[in-house]
Formats: sequence, C-alpha cells, structure tokens
Amino acid sequence: MIEDREKIIAELVNKGLDGDMDAVNSHEDRMIRAKVKAMIMKVKRGNVERPPIPIPSSPISSSEPTVEENIVVEELDVKDAYQKVIKLLQEKFPKAIVENNKNKFIQINPEEWFDIAVYLKSEESLLFDSLQCQTGMDLGEDILESRYNLHSMEHDHYIEIRISVSRSNPQIPSVEQIWRIADWFERETYDMFGIEYTGHRDLRRILLPDDWEGWPLRKDYQEQETYHGIMVPKMKEGWE
Amino acid sequence: MGVVHGEEMVLNIGPQHPATHGVLRLQVRTDGEVVSQITPYMGYLHRCFEKHCENVTYEQVIPFTDRCDYLSSMSMNFGYVVAMERLMDIKVNDRVEHIRVIMAELQRIASHLLCTGVFGLDLGAFTPFLWALRDRERILDLFELTCGARLLYNYMWVGGLSHDIPVGFVESTFEFLDYFEPKVDELENILAHNSILIERSADIGVLPKNVAISYGVTGPNLRASGVHWDLRKNDPYSIYDKFDFDVPIGQGLKGSIGDCWDRFYVRIIEIRESIKIIRQALAAMPKDGDVHQSLPKKLRPPKGSIYARTETPRGDLGYYIESDGSPIPYRLKMRSPAFTALSVIDEIGSGWLLSDVLAILGSLDIVLGEIDR
Repeated sequence: MIEDREKIIAELVNKGLDGDMDAVNSHEDRMIRAKVKAMIMKVKRGNVERPPIPIPSSPISSSEPTVEENIVVEELDVKDAYQKVIKLLQEKFPKAIVENNKNKFIQINPEEWFDIAVYLKSEESLLFDSLQCQTGMDLGEDILESRYNLHSMEHDHYIEIRISVSRSNPQIPSVEQIWRIADWFERETYDMFGIEYTGHRDLRRILLPDDWEGWPLRKDYQEQETYHGIMVPKMKEGWE
Repeated sequence: MGVVHGEEMVLNIGPQHPATHGVLRLQVRTDGEVVSQITPYMGYLHRCFEKHCENVTYEQVIPFTDRCDYLSSMSMNFGYVVAMERLMDIKVNDRVEHIRVIMAELQRIASHLLCTGVFGLDLGAFTPFLWALRDRERILDLFELTCGARLLYNYMWVGGLSHDIPVGFVESTFEFLDYFEPKVDELENILAHNSILIERSADIGVLPKNVAISYGVTGPNLRASGVHWDLRKNDPYSIYDKFDFDVPIGQGLKGSIGDCWDRFYVRIIEIRESIKIIRQALAAMPKDGDVHQSLPKKLRPPKGSIYARTETPRGDLGYYIESDGSPIPYRLKMRSPAFTALSVIDEIGSGWLLSDVLAILGSLDIVLGEIDR
C-alpha cells in the first residue's frame, strides 16, 4: 500500500512540475494532495531531488531478473547478488522490502529482519556468512538507520541492507545470534545512537562508561555539563 | 580438566599491563589457574574519532586515521584514500600507486615484526623482540626519509601523496631488503622452531574456520584458520593484481590448524611475501609522474555512500563514508579489524590456563587505538 501511495505521489509531482497542476488538484485523497504540493515546493527550492517517474502498474519485480536469471548463476558480481536477493526476498517475505535502489542497497522493514537474516545466511544460493560492517546513521527528521554490509565468503558477493526506525521508538531485532560479530557491532551502535536491539543478550555500552548520558553520534547530541562532578570543557571553535 | 569446582575468583588483567598490548582490561573468571570466562572492557582510549570526523573536512580526517592504528598508519591512510577515491571517482597515476604499495608493504613488515617480536616477549623470549625492533627501526628510518615522520605519517592524500619519494630512496630500500632477508630466517629459526615456543603455542587457542568467519575475524588470523582470503588477491584494490605473490594459510604444522603457532607463523611468511611485492614494485615503478597530479582543489564528494575495504596488517579495514555533498563527512564509520579480532577472545580463550590466555591475546595482534577509536 505504501509503495502504491509513493508511486502515485511521484507521478503527480512529476505532472505538477511539468505544469499540469490540475491533475494534482483533482486527486480525491486529501493527504496525497498535500504531500504532492509539499514535495513540489521542496523540489523547486532545491531541497529534494525530483522523484523518478514510476513505471506504471508493475510491482518491483519486473520480468527483467527472470530473463537474466540464467546468466546470474554463472557469473556472480555485485549487481547479480542484488537482483537475486530482491527476487528471493519478494517470494519469501512479500511485505519486507520498502525500497530497493539500483544495486546500492535494499531497505527493509524492521519487523521481519530476524527471519530475513536467518534466511540470508542459510539459503543455499546466497550464504551470507559474514557481516562485514554494521553502522548506525542519524538521518535527521526523526529517522535513525541501521545499515548492514553483508558478504558471502562462498559466493563472494555483497549486499547492503538498511533498516529505518523512528527516533521515538528505535527498536530493531538483534541478529547477534546469527552473526556473532553483530554482538559487538550492535553494542557499539547502541552506545553511539541509542538504537535498541531487541533480543540482544548483553546490550550495554561498549566504548563509553556505563553511566554516560546521551547518544554521542546523534546529530542533536548535547555534551553533559559535568561528569562525576568534573566540569566538561567546552570545545574550542576550530582546530589549532 | 576434571570437574573439581573450587572457589571461583574474578581477576582483572589490566588496564595497565604490558601483556594487554595497550590500555585494555580483561576481566577473567578463574578457577585456580583455569579461565572459565573472559570479559573484555575497552574504551580507555576512546576519542570518538567518528564524531571528530563530522566536524572536520575530508582532508583533515587523514591525520585521525593515522592515530587509530598507530602501528600501521600507512595502511590506515591507504584504506581511507582508496575509499575516498572510489567515492569521488579519482584515478591516480602509476607512480603514486607504486609508491603507495611500497609504503603499505613496508608498513606490513614493520607491523608484523612488532607483532612476532612481542608475541615472543609474551611467552618469555626477550632476544627476538630486540631483533625485531632493530629491523623495524630501519623501516621507520625509510619512512622518516620519505615524509619526516616515524610513526604518524599523514603521507597518503586523496588523489596523491604529500611528497614524492626522496633521491636515493629506491637504493636505500633495496639495500634494506638485502640486509633484511637473511634476518627473517634468523627470526624464524629462533622463534618458530623453538621448542619452548611450540610448547606454549601449538594446539593452544584453536580458532575454527566457521567461528572465525562468524566473528568477523579477518587478515592473518583468518588465514591461519585455513581460509584462503586476502583482499589483495580476492578483491584487488590499487595495483595489487599486477604483482606475483602467495597468500600463506595456516597448515597446522606443529599442532592443529588455527592455533596460536599458526597465527604467529603466517605472519612470518607474510613478511617474505611483502618483500617479494616490494622488490617487484620498486623495479616496475615509473621514473616520472607528478604525485600531486590528480589532487583535487577541494574535496567535495557527490551525494552518496560507499563501503570500501583494504587489507591492513591486521585484516580487513573498512570505511563506511556517507556524503551529503558538502566538504565535511556526514558520517564516517571505521570497521576496524582488531575490534572484531578481540571479540573472539572469550570464545577461544576460555577453558585455557591463565598464561595461555595471554599467548592467545598476543597471537591475535590487537592494537587498542584502533579498537577504541
């Protein structure tokens, strides 16, 4: 449903930018009208890039991956891994994928992440057995993101998974029991961003002391005034 | 080990202890001499490198990378510039690439020398440590000749180098290699085939293949477990695909595959392979070429993100850079190899004697500056 709405919005924004504001005004859904107008303003001001015109009436899996499937098995590089993962995930977890950017990343919902992770590691043709990197990201506007760079030693291919959560309720299922290194990676992200990994068996700060206040790598982080009764010196302007 | 349940004791090793190779606290639960659980506490050197990076320009990040892994600063620089050049799509000329490879491999030798020497020291052998430092000194002299610094270089820049190599560098390096090659054999003889060291390290702390991969252990530690994985071969960056060298893997010559002795021995062989690469690179280096040729006036990468990995002496070093199009990084994450290597200590260290835990820790070759960042 959300994908459909986004598609409609993208289409209307493009129409509106090309001068066809009637199409926007005549849409029956008030929310969509408002969103489209807001986005047009943002694009005109240059804050946001113009959305791509959506391909009409097609779910994200077009016929393209199936045609290339035979070649995929033979030569495995980054591109093919993405197509294969997207295709398999759509069969197995139809609601999971929020967005997939051409061979850059796959954005998924947090709800099914644990099951997807188990699947990615165990599926014969994927075998993502090593978690290369896990990083947090503060995207502003109430969004925190957790990103996973996965790699398969067996097939030598990579993907990047992104999961967004809201700042008010930053909860993502932990994958610590699937890739053991996620234990420390998730503790670090928790330490720096305050993202809670549910199901993690030992979620506590790793680099900072246990009684530290706040999440330092968030963009709105404020240093504490005192620490154990010691004044925290203010950072000087610039570097000398 | 028997099933005697004596009184358990919690013991802190460190934070100030030479065997922890830096400021690290290992809280071990012991039953007599047998360790049943190891909990590492780190962060004593934490400077929040990643927060600093969000306040300085892309050029100014390079000195910070030096200070993360202070025993292989060149490799840390190298990883960062490779990531940035991929993000900005910059091609550097052949001379720069050759110099970078030479520096990175010299750095690998220096770092492995320190690791093997200190590993001996951990197990009670003092002489090899002095030998190793004596030879490492000559490499540091070469670096000093090149860029004036002995430990923290700030030498590789995005799109080039800070200086060209000085007159006489090539000759001095060849001279050093000629001097050094027999010394490697000496070091191997006194350490690797020493029966005390074999007793103390063979069959100790065995790290199986699948555990190593699951814990994200990389570099020599992973190769010692029998995995043929080296980014210089498997995902070549820079010009590593031009050189002819082997990737040594652990074979369990003195015990089983993936024990402390293997982890130590793989590094000795890697020193030899690095010498091979340096010789080839010195011979093939183009005579002319400006090292500042492709330096951009202003570093302003396009919007987007990149994750790039390089092989440092300690394993896969990854930089995750998110750019918002401004001259300041939006987010920069360093995936440090020693961090992942240390995380495996409880898995392979518990169940051994207290003295073996220090051998295992030494064989993992950690640098705390990079773990704490």
